[in-house]
Amino acid sequence: MDRAWYWKAGFILAVTLVAIWALVPSVTYFRLPASERNEASVFERARPKWAPAKHLNLGLDLQGGIHLVMGVEVDRAVREKAVRRAEELAAEMDRKDVKGADVRGDPDTGIVTVTAPDVGKAKDVLAEFTDMYVRRTTGNTVELAMKDDAVKLLKDSAVDQAVKAIRNRVDKWGVSEPTIAKRGDASILVQLPGYSNPEKAKELIGKTAQLEFKIVDDGDLSVSKLTDLPQGVTLNWDRYSGAGDATISSPYLESKDRAPLAQYLKDKAPAGHVFAIGKLEGRGRADTTYRSWLLDQKQGMTGEYITDARVAFDNSPGEGNRPYVQVSFNKTGADLFGKLTKENVKRRMAIVLDDTVDSAPIIQTEIPGGICSIHLGGLKPINEILEEAKDLALVLKSGALPAPVRILEERSVGASLGPELIRRGSQAALLGLLAVLVFMALYYRFSGLVADVALVLNGLVVLAIMAGINSTLTLPGIAGFVLTLGMAVDANVLINERIREELKTGRTLAAAVKTGYEKVFWTIFDGHVTALVAGFVIRAYGSGPVRGFATTLIIGLLASMFTSIVVTRAIVEWFVSHGRLHKAVSF
Amino acid sequence: MEMKYFDLIKPGTTHDFVKYRRVAVVISLIANALVLAGMLLWPGLNYGVDFAGGTELQVHFKQKAEAGDIRDLVAKQGFGEPTVQEYGNKEDNQFLVRVERIALLTPERADQIRAAVSQAVPGLQSFRFDPEVGDKLDFFFKQPVDESALRAAVEKQGTAVKEIRPLVSREGAEREYTVITQGTGDKIGSALREKYGQDQVEVVRTDYVGPQVGKQLRIDGILAVVYAMGMILVYVGFRFDFRFSPGVVIALVHDAIITLGYFLVSRHEFNLTSVTVILTVVGYSVNDTIVIYDRIRENAKKHKGRPLRELINLSINEMLGRTILTSGATALSLVGLLVYGVGTIQDFAAAMLVGIVSGTYSTWYIASPMTIWLEEHVEQRKAIQAAQPKPKKSDTGRPAAAAR
Repeated sequence: MDRAWYWKAGFILAVTLVAIWALVPSVTYFRLPASERNEASVFERARPKWAPAKHLNLGLDLQGGIHLVMGVEVDRAVREKAVRRAEELAAEMDRKDVKGADVRGDPDTGIVTVTAPDVGKAKDVLAEFTDMYVRRTTGNTVELAMKDDAVKLLKDSAVDQAVKAIRNRVDKWGVSEPTIAKRGDASILVQLPGYSNPEKAKELIGKTAQLEFKIVDDGDLSVSKLTDLPQGVTLNWDRYSGAGDATISSPYLESKDRAPLAQYLKDKAPAGHVFAIGKLEGRGRADTTYRSWLLDQKQGMTGEYITDARVAFDNSPGEGNRPYVQVSFNKTGADLFGKLTKENVKRRMAIVLDDTVDSAPIIQTEIPGGICSIHLGGLKPINEILEEAKDLALVLKSGALPAPVRILEERSVGASLGPELIRRGSQAALLGLLAVLVFMALYYRFSGLVADVALVLNGLVVLAIMAGINSTLTLPGIAGFVLTLGMAVDANVLINERIREELKTGRTLAAAVKTGYEKVFWTIFDGHVTALVAGFVIRAYGSGPVRGFATTLIIGLLASMFTSIVVTRAIVEWFVSHGRLHKAVSF
Repeated sequence: MEMKYFDLIKPGTTHDFVKYRRVAVVISLIANALVLAGMLLWPGLNYGVDFAGGTELQVHFKQKAEAGDIRDLVAKQGFGEPTVQEYGNKEDNQFLVRVERIALLTPERADQIRAAVSQAVPGLQSFRFDPEVGDKLDFFFKQPVDESALRAAVEKQGTAVKEIRPLVSREGAEREYTVITQGTGDKIGSALREKYGQDQVEVVRTDYVGPQVGKQLRIDGILAVVYAMGMILVYVGFRFDFRFSPGVVIALVHDAIITLGYFLVSRHEFNLTSVTVILTVVGYSVNDTIVIYDRIRENAKKHKGRPLRELINLSINEMLGRTILTSGATALSLVGLLVYGVGTIQDFAAAMLVGIVSGTYSTWYIASPMTIWLEEHVEQRKAIQAAQPKPKKSDTGRPAAAAR
């Protein structure tokens, strides 16, 4: 045995061990019950700590899941941008001292109207806003709109950002191997394999999250003085112990439907205040109802300073491991939050998400240092609170979607085959593979067994690479895999037949093996590379399932070249060079 | 050292493959023409929603159900000619129900609803309906509205509402609503439930694909295959000789068409997954052809001066054992899938078997003899260029291009 052989053998051994190591998490994953394994936390707990984190995934066709198509409201993003530009323009006019200038951005059309006594001077300022053009000038009024290329850029980036934000949310949510892809028409395809709750998915992905902390003004009793309440809206009182343990009573309006309440309160807020609506649920109520909150407009901060939010557990006595949400702020946020809480101890702080009050915990003490705990209330069972805490944490850290998204298409997909059929299918496939292995061993005996080792290793390596790149196994992917196994069998047959031919010409065993492998190398190489070329082209141009096919095909072909040519040769050479084992070798 | 083998094919077998090439080409041309005619004229492939567009439901019945009854029931709902097909084994009681309609709403109906809503609910600013997307109406109001009033206004027009979703806009007020109406899938599902009992019918899966998307998918698929063929042509030309390339590609097209014939004759659904089955067959066929070409190249070097047709015959015969073993082993691995597999898996196994036979046949009788024709063609051209009045007309050209 020469030195090179030992290097080769060592390499093969290393590949085998790494492949097995890489497949450990996949084995763990598939041994978990199907309903739990897609929860990142469950899988994380079950996975051996020394094994890698990535595992094989099943595609939507094999395990079912959720399929959503989200439309990004790019036009609205453009209109909002125009309004923002109008504000900047007004500020610039001020700075440049353009007297009497009036700048308005219309949020419904995205057209900015500038009126100024001195139009010439105003136009000089406008010239600096290169992403806008003048639509029309009438007298002292100039109409502006976004330029086409700026609009295109804006639309593109709105979709890209939405993709990023959705990916961010889905990742934080812990769904394994989601597909989030931009489609041509400003829509986004989201596939969540193994996930079965479309309501929750929509809620998390579709939300235009805009987070604010605002102080609830419980001292203002003006709500109780409203007399013309519409039908279905009732007045109620909230009671809790505030500053100095005095019982605070605060009025609010409650309604079964959100819309009438929102409409009624539209212009009712006293000066310096704003009304927001929140959900009331659980706590012995049969249905969800909506209630009003009166918020102080002057005090508050936005959620943009949040750096992290996570669920923690309170294990102080009597709390029984009650989950709560821990929020961390950056430096600026910590200062703002400290000030806000210091000035409002024993008052309630509303966490407002998309103008909906999520919850309004009482500020017990000043919270400096930028870490705040939000305890979720009520006498709900612990697991319900845990769910709520998880959702709140997620919402807090997800940030805002740049442009509103809406759901265009939504469906819950069952596995196209169903678990029973999949089980039967995989049994049939295993039986088929076993038949091939037995056939090879019977026909070629020794070298058939060597080929069997190579085939099994080939399967291991393909699965390990797929697990390593966190790839998804779909039915078309399995088709690609079957093709590569067929080609691996062919490679082994080619080698063995060739060595038989060489032996018939009277060569010694060692010489026959050497020339056999050398001559057959280019045959196998050309066959595999031709298929590889096709695989790469299909991967580049194909879509959906066809790409899945190409991916496994490419991985499988590379693995097949390695196992058929390198691995079998190393094994055969070892036997051939060891005198006593010589007799065992047959082709 | 003496070794014993069990050889499937006796060494030195000499079957004259090249001799039958004209007959084979005629047979293949007829078979291909039949499949193409079947695809393009009548009866056409049974395209799935991926390509045809429409709505497809996979329905699981708890009790025995007959495809014919289901078809009648769905047709009665006003869905033209539905396709109902058993899915999987008979005892599974699963069916694929496919109708061409995606949306129950037509633009005219949507417009009627818009008119009704603008009367019943004040402040309607704009309205959107996209027949490509289907049973979904977007309303944009000046101010928040009562959802139940909106629902009532739509339902009064005879369209069942599944869900109303407000879109929370940034300004804080809810002004935009998406009304999801009862769709094709829901209607078929509820009709089936009415007939067979509420808990007897389970809709496993519903797919909607708009005709535009279907068209795009088809174009993408065809382009991918065409580019792949082009690249194979170049690679084979580079590694072997450009006279060898057309043979590979013609054999490949031949096998793809014959495998399509399986889907044509079996009437099984042809969808995106079936495309990967075709690609698998093509991959197998290309490999088979390359292996034989490789032997021809080697023999051309070894037996300099022998005519190409002899080289081809020799090479195919030498490789006969290998070809039968590989085909046999691959076929063996598919038998289990063919017997126990269901739906897509069974189609895969069956189409693959057709492809293996076709791939082997096309290598022997189409791809290799193709090189002879090209060889003759080249000879003829040379002869004409040399201004010889009588170009040599025989099969015995120069040996195949020497390998590198």
